Amino acid sequence: MADNEEDSLPAVEVPENEDQAGDAPSESDAPQSLEPISSDTNLGPSDQSQTVANKDLAKIDVYLKATGNAPIMKRKKWTVSQDQHIGWIAEFIKKYLKLDPNERLFLYINQTFAPAPDQTVKNLYDCYGIDGKLVIHYCKSHAWG
Amino acid sequence: MANDREVLREIWEGKVPVCFQLDSEEVCELQAPAPYYLMVPRLSYFPLCVDKVRKHFTRHIQKDKQDNEMWLEFNGAPLKWHLPIGVLLDLHAIDIQLPWNITVHFDKFPENAIMHCQNKEVVESYFLACIKESDVLKHRGQVVSSMQKKDHNQLWLGLLNDKFDQFWAINRRLMESSNDDGFKYIPFRCYLSEEKYIQKLVKPVNEEGQRKKLGHLLSEVFPDQEKVVVRTHGITPLPETPLQWLSEHLSYPDNFLHLCLINWSPEVTSK
Repeated sequence: MADNEEDSLPAVEVPENEDQAGDAPSESDAPQSLEPISSDTNLGPSDQSQTVANKDLAKIDVYLKATGNAPIMKRKKWTVSQDQHIGWIAEFIKKYLKLDPNERLFLYINQTFAPAPDQTVKNLYDCYGIDGKLVIHYCKSHAWG
Repeated sequence: MANDREVLREIWEGKVPVCFQLDSEEVCELQAPAPYYLMVPRLSYFPLCVDKVRKHFTRHIQKDKQDNEMWLEFNGAPLKWHLPIGVLLDLHAIDIQLPWNITVHFDKFPENAIMHCQNKEVVESYFLACIKESDVLKHRGQVVSSMQKKDHNQLWLGLLNDKFDQFWAINRRLMESSNDDGFKYIPFRCYLSEEKYIQKLVKPVNEEGQRKKLGHLLSEVFPDQEKVVVRTHGITPLPETPLQWLSEHLSYPDNFLHLCLINWSPEVTSK
């Protein structure tokens, strides 16, 4: 399942104007990540990545927030294809955090319920998106319910 | 609140005859085992009603496969166990002749097509997550969060053991609305196929406070389409059906309406 890591990564794109775009997290960066919402939220949804209009129509801003005992992701804001499934995002987070493929990861919407793995980002954004983004919490154990 | 109890009963008692057959390549004897026939509830999930099917077939397959997870196939594709049986039936209705012929597998689990389901607890947590989500849509999640663990348990056991009264004693609370407008939003999923469904926010009343019909929901989901027809529980409800009533009476136990698209004009499919 977790074989084609390199192939699947490009489908998640980092907004170009985000600070510290380097992929290798360094220790000095870590404390900043403790802020649940990093300063780049001020840039709003109309950042440079929107200049390629067609491409971005099909993308949705997703914020990934750690909860409970889950490791924090250095980058929280991602743009994801709207047809992408939640199960795919869970796999992506596991690869990004270098978790064991067999380790379980739970995703939550509204800090309330776990979405179905075959649910699309678009459906969730349409129902639970706030301020132009979809917030997903992730956890290594049951957090809510 | 759900009042038309006979409708709820009728929906609850919907069953479908299934003929399970072991995949011929997995038979380890000269002769294939007899098929296994079962009446399965439309509102249930396959993992909750196939214990006997598993037992019937495991002694006819290779020993080293006997502990494998069983999975089901119809028409050359794996069936998603996390969709209620009635939804799978409605989705494939055009290809199904009764009894519904389903192929049973123990080998070559289709990792990329379906989720694993090692035991019924997996179904339970999926089912309760759906109930929670539906309550977020209906009551901002306030009803589910005011319930106790034993209430959640009763909903699950009612479904698992096919106990209508046990289930509805709790579920009626999820179907209540605090004012005349009904739910905040109607929980529904509108399936284009087994792979793809649309879910969005649709209120049971319009801006003037008038109650919406199913037709209003369908035109909000498919704004470019005129004559959209959907199937649920084997029937095609009329567009004039009041939406709030539909949600209270024709939702599955997960509290979602599962509507399968059966008619739309082809230009939209290219989207």
